[in-house]
Amino acid sequence: MKAQAREVILMPLIEAENLVKVFKVAKRKQGLTGAVINLFHPEYMIIRAVDGISFTIDKGEIVGFIGPNGAGKSTTIKMMCGILNPTSGWVKINGLSPQKNRKAVVSKLGVVFGQRTQLYWDLRLGESFELAKRIYKVDNEVYNMNLKAMDDILKIGELIDIPVRQLSLGQRMRGELAMAMIHSPSVLFLDEPSIGLDAEAKYAVREFIKSINEKMGTTVILTTHDLNEVEQLCRRLIVLNKGRIIEDASLSVITDKIISRRILIIDLDEDVNDIDHPAAQVVKKEGLRVWMQFQRSKITAAQLVSDLSRKLKIRDISIQEPDIEEVIREVYKGTAQ
Amino acid sequence: MRALALIRHYCSVAICCARLTIQEQLEYPFLAICWFFIIPIEYLTSVGLLKVIINTFNNLEGWSFPQLTFAYSLALLSRGVVDVFFIQLLYLGDMVLYGELDRMMLRPLSVFFQFTAQNINFIGLVNMIPAIVIFLYSCKEVSFLWTAANIAKIILTVIGGVLIRISFFMIIGTVCFWTKSNNQGVELGIKLLERSTMYPLSIYPFFIQFILTFILPLGFICFYPSCEFLNKNDGFVIPLGLSIWTPAIGVLLFYIAQRFLKYGLKHYESTGS
Repeated sequence: MKAQAREVILMPLIEAENLVKVFKVAKRKQGLTGAVINLFHPEYMIIRAVDGISFTIDKGEIVGFIGPNGAGKSTTIKMMCGILNPTSGWVKINGLSPQKNRKAVVSKLGVVFGQRTQLYWDLRLGESFELAKRIYKVDNEVYNMNLKAMDDILKIGELIDIPVRQLSLGQRMRGELAMAMIHSPSVLFLDEPSIGLDAEAKYAVREFIKSINEKMGTTVILTTHDLNEVEQLCRRLIVLNKGRIIEDASLSVITDKIISRRILIIDLDEDVNDIDHPAAQVVKKEGLRVWMQFQRSKITAAQLVSDLSRKLKIRDISIQEPDIEEVIREVYKGTAQ
Repeated sequence: MRALALIRHYCSVAICCARLTIQEQLEYPFLAICWFFIIPIEYLTSVGLLKVIINTFNNLEGWSFPQLTFAYSLALLSRGVVDVFFIQLLYLGDMVLYGELDRMMLRPLSVFFQFTAQNINFIGLVNMIPAIVIFLYSCKEVSFLWTAANIAKIILTVIGGVLIRISFFMIIGTVCFWTKSNNQGVELGIKLLERSTMYPLSIYPFFIQFILTFILPLGFICFYPSCEFLNKNDGFVIPLGLSIWTPAIGVLLFYIAQRFLKYGLKHYESTGS
């Protein structure tokens, strides 16, 4: 009995093993002749949208799936929540297959697709919540508690009586997020939740994710193209490209691994020409400010500064870390080769 | 006990959906009023057309005006039920193409239930009234015998007709996954249903009668049951009571349509649209 209980605790919340999803896409030939040929002799391309990926996700994690368009992020999410059947491999949530035990699995999931609405378009927002309450058999006490929590986080109270069609995109997203939390799901899937939102609404989405993760312990799986969002939210990133996982680590590990160069910015007291150093190159110079690039594997910043200060009068220094956009660009480039 | 809880759960969702649908329809009252008038007018003009045909030709392949009206009103009854509960089947193709079914798969309820419950067309309920009036009028004209057996047969015929109709639209919707355009298919389907239920099958050439009996069994919606009720030997001679065939074919067709839909969804999924 004890051993069993321990096993349950150790079991990851989400497990995916060798997931593959193959799509057959019709190839279209050019022009009228091509169209006629397509009619009688269609040609297909086999696309491996997800090509053998494995990962596990533990309870309470916030995991960001990132990758260029068509990398397989949405397909992976759709397999995790039971909409798509994997061509091969399997996925389990809480030990259950979303394909075989769809109803049991989805009753514990919250899903928000940024480009699709779950809300009743013509009715006040509150009606959609009422329906969710019945669908997920949420009792009054929990329902009111969750609504209260959503009001604290998303200020949902001011929107609840407005018809959904009259909400702005940002307000509607707040509605979608609140709706997805009505039944206190243990996992929340967000597929590009901040798409098309302005800065303020994006901030609201980010604060929402942070607080449900902290206060309710909800595991969050997120796909996004907004790298700021990833940087501020996700302790762990899964980078996909062409259906494969190319990195699965924390942001800082990925950054270190991909880009080991740093830039040292020096403000000089007087203009000097001889600022060379064997382990660093000047990449830019503007008046008294100099940008020097160095490899962290070859020299530490401290060593470089101390070497330079021997021959130069330095007023101020700063070190530029590579930004995440640059990291991701490098990651994508790396697999393209 | 668990089954009871399940039924209560589904009922509470269905009632909530029904309430929301009424509220939604009340958001567009003008549209509701339009439907309120258009459908009865459509029913009555169709019956009027039958009257004109009979006045011109005396009878239609041996069918008198009351007999034609009886057959047609039997079709209107099943159409009425379909309009109330399954009208969204007309948009099945579009719903799949736009990912509406995905949304239903994310909820811990049967997808077919959600599909039916999400849009109960109360305007259609009003349209049942002219259908029933026309039916009762024609029953009187053909001296229909209101025995318990006959009433049961009528109910079975309507249920069978409903199943045949919804299966028919499920098949059309599924074909649309390949053709990617829903509207033409559905329009064609509506026309075919109207033509094959308004006139007796026997006015058509043998070839078409054969198709509407054995391949697309739309003749069973009202033509063959009416033959039995009216003691007519028309169309293909089919053993056993004809009205028994309607529900049987309905169930069989519904089973096939559901399998076909599942197959279509799977194929559709594998194209990754």
